[in-house]
Amino acid sequence: MADPIALAVREQFHSPEQQRETSTVGMWIFLITEVMLFGGLFTAFSVYRMSHPAGFDQGSADMEFWLGAINTAVLICSSFTMAMAVHSAEVGKNGKLALFLTLTILIGLVFLAIKFTEYYLHYHDQKLPGILFHDTSPDAAYVQMFFIFYFLMTGLHALHMLIGEGILCTMLFRTFLGSFSEHYHTPIELAGLYWHFVDTVWVFLFAIFYIPGAHMK
Amino acid sequence: MSQSTVSARTYLFTLLALLALTLLTSLLALVDLGRFSFVAGVAIAAVKASLIACIFMHALYETKLIRVVMTGGVIWFLILISLTLGDYLTRGWMPFPGK
Amino acid sequence: MATLTLVEPQPAPTQPQLNYLTEKTGLLSWLFTTDHKRIGLLYVFSITFFFFFGGFFALLMRLHLLLPQGWLFGHETYNKLFTMHGIIMVWFFLIPSIPNTLGNFVLPMMIGAKDLAFPKLNLLSWYIFMLAGMTTLYAMIRGGVDTGWTFYTPFSTSYSTTFVITAAIGILISGFSSILTGLNFMATVHRMRAPGLTWYRLPIFIWSMYATSIILVLATPVLAITLAMIGIERVFQVGIFDPNLGGDPVLFQHMFWFYSHPAVYIMVLPAMAVVSEIIPTFSRKPIFGYKAVAFSSMAIAIIGFLVWGHHMFVAGESAYSAMTFSFLSYMVAVPSAIKVFNWTATMYKGSIQLDTPMLYAIGFVALFTIGGMTGLFLAAVGLDVHVTDTYFVIAHFHYIMVGGTVMAFLGGVHFWWPKISGKMYPEFLAKLCALTVFLGFNLTFFPQFILGYLGMPRRYAAYPPEFEVLNVLSTAGASILGVGYVVPLIYLIWAWKFGAPAPANPWRTTGLEWKTPSPPPKHNFEETPTVTWKAYDFEAQKEELQLG
Repeated sequence: MADPIALAVREQFHSPEQQRETSTVGMWIFLITEVMLFGGLFTAFSVYRMSHPAGFDQGSADMEFWLGAINTAVLICSSFTMAMAVHSAEVGKNGKLALFLTLTILIGLVFLAIKFTEYYLHYHDQKLPGILFHDTSPDAAYVQMFFIFYFLMTGLHALHMLIGEGILCTMLFRTFLGSFSEHYHTPIELAGLYWHFVDTVWVFLFAIFYIPGAHMK
Repeated sequence: MSQSTVSARTYLFTLLALLALTLLTSLLALVDLGRFSFVAGVAIAAVKASLIACIFMHALYETKLIRVVMTGGVIWFLILISLTLGDYLTRGWMPFPGK
Repeated sequence: MATLTLVEPQPAPTQPQLNYLTEKTGLLSWLFTTDHKRIGLLYVFSITFFFFFGGFFALLMRLHLLLPQGWLFGHETYNKLFTMHGIIMVWFFLIPSIPNTLGNFVLPMMIGAKDLAFPKLNLLSWYIFMLAGMTTLYAMIRGGVDTGWTFYTPFSTSYSTTFVITAAIGILISGFSSILTGLNFMATVHRMRAPGLTWYRLPIFIWSMYATSIILVLATPVLAITLAMIGIERVFQVGIFDPNLGGDPVLFQHMFWFYSHPAVYIMVLPAMAVVSEIIPTFSRKPIFGYKAVAFSSMAIAIIGFLVWGHHMFVAGESAYSAMTFSFLSYMVAVPSAIKVFNWTATMYKGSIQLDTPMLYAIGFVALFTIGGMTGLFLAAVGLDVHVTDTYFVIAHFHYIMVGGTVMAFLGGVHFWWPKISGKMYPEFLAKLCALTVFLGFNLTFFPQFILGYLGMPRRYAAYPPEFEVLNVLSTAGASILGVGYVVPLIYLIWAWKFGAPAPANPWRTTGLEWKTPSPPPKHNFEETPTVTWKAYDFEAQKEELQLG
């Protein structure tokens, strides 16, 4: 019977250890490209926030603060379950791996459900930028600017979450196929890195969109 | 490799720390700290991000190369934002119109 | 001093065994390959097509500019021509050219690896690149874009009626291809080096390609998000960069140039990488100041991220910002200058052979020096106010990108041609073309320095009559340059089939890639070599290389 570890090592590598280390480096490099991707948006947001703090504070006041706070806690829990999934894979417990992957997927879906609820509420309040936008505060142009960035950045984040859900479902599927063991579970580790990164982005999104105007309600 | 990189207990404590920080930042947000609200929010977020990176993402337990890559990413973002904001912050510092 | 003829007295090459070209044949074996060498060749086809396509637009522009009032095109069409020339050349030729063709082919071999770290990702890069190219071509066929390759707002977001979104999507997609390539190269250099191959034993080519990869990985995402924002602004009519709605056009420029300035180092660092291999080979000497050259590659990559505001001196950035960027721009010239001094010192008291690759490399050093120094003129804020948006700028960057990168690319193609194809190209004809390119290039672009200094603006379809002579000279040069590019295409294709068979190491130089047969087998090395020698150690390898 063919050695499953040897089968999992690609031909350009000379050892499983080299493959794991190289893949991990590769994933981290990918994550810093994502830092720069979101970083561009954070930079643009900061420029406008700095020049028009009143409009941006007003926009922040229009956010559903507690939904955002709950969502932050939700996503942090999903990072915990993801970390536990990696832990289970490392000790070869495929049953627990499947359980924690499933929990992560479900908690992620809760996050997305809350997020889309918020989007709907904003649409209802006429805060969708563009022709549907309506606001009567003094700095309305910059309240709209706030919401442009809100939808852009949380939308990009949600897109990354959806991709992450797809990746996790694939990992779950492969777990059921028996692809992973304590000797080989690199894809789980890489999926974990991606998931935690997406969580990290959200932590900063919560800080810049929800917190500044929360005291104004 | 049937050893886990990080124990389940450490993950649990990190989770509790992150949730506590989330609660802290939420309660602080309800207080009007003026301009400091924004700064405090981002600062606490940075602490949470570091916890996630170091523990959940194993940055503390990986090779130096990984930490260099991670730090490099952060520094590059800081370059982008600081030199861009630097332009906006120094507008009007010279007594000529438009400078 | 007579140039060394190449084939004898090396042993007659035998090519009965399978190599990467023959081990599997048929179109599908190419379209589904994961072999870095084949993928390098796939890219050669793509970028050659784009080079001539972009060059065609340049030719049309130069023909139009023969007469002061223009004669071939209306002004709107002219705007589309320079835009499309810029977009194609920047994103579909210059950025992928050396890294994805020569880099893909040579990098794994130079470090003793069987392939890149992620071969399937490499193939995906090429498919993404092709998708990007097709999307952008579609925009051009449907009517083109007229915003300039720089897409400045609010014209690109609010006023242009051309296919901005399609072109922006095409470029955004090409960015993913760049990012994956950079990621692949970095992971490969970190983790796939042969035993004994420490960082300080690596050829400079690897250092420079690694530095390029850093830029690819860190700068390109900012371009992606900036283009996405333009697209969103156009589609949803929101005002991120629109002054009417509270937006700031200068913010667009900050974000655009944060990528686009380091992008020019993506274009020039690989060219420097190639030159750093050619000059030691044809001087029979190790590169002078190895560590200085290696570190200067990294310094260029890093400092190159700190200078983008020099494109915005007259755009409205603050005076302090302008001074900072000006100072940093002077700093970035230092490592480039170090390289030029070191290449020259490498040649000093070397045993110079003026083979075709060396002609291109020496041409690179001369033209890059002129281009680089004129960059310093532009870095001086006061002078920039006078020459910005004139032909001076155009001449400056063409000296670097065409006089620099394209010449280095051609030099590298000729240098590694025997390894890639297993055949030799016709040397005399190749030398003639190198000279033609050099002369044609200077005739095209030197007059443009003068034109710019005299005040002729760039991107104008018409000009005052007193500039006619210089423009005619420039167009004459462009025709000669065109010939210099077309003939190598012909003879290289000819040589692929009919050229003299090449030995494993026709240039008798150091480097792991020359220890494989020409063309190499699919997995490059029968056995992974263990490296115990320094780079460019001609002295130690004298016997093996049969050096006199």
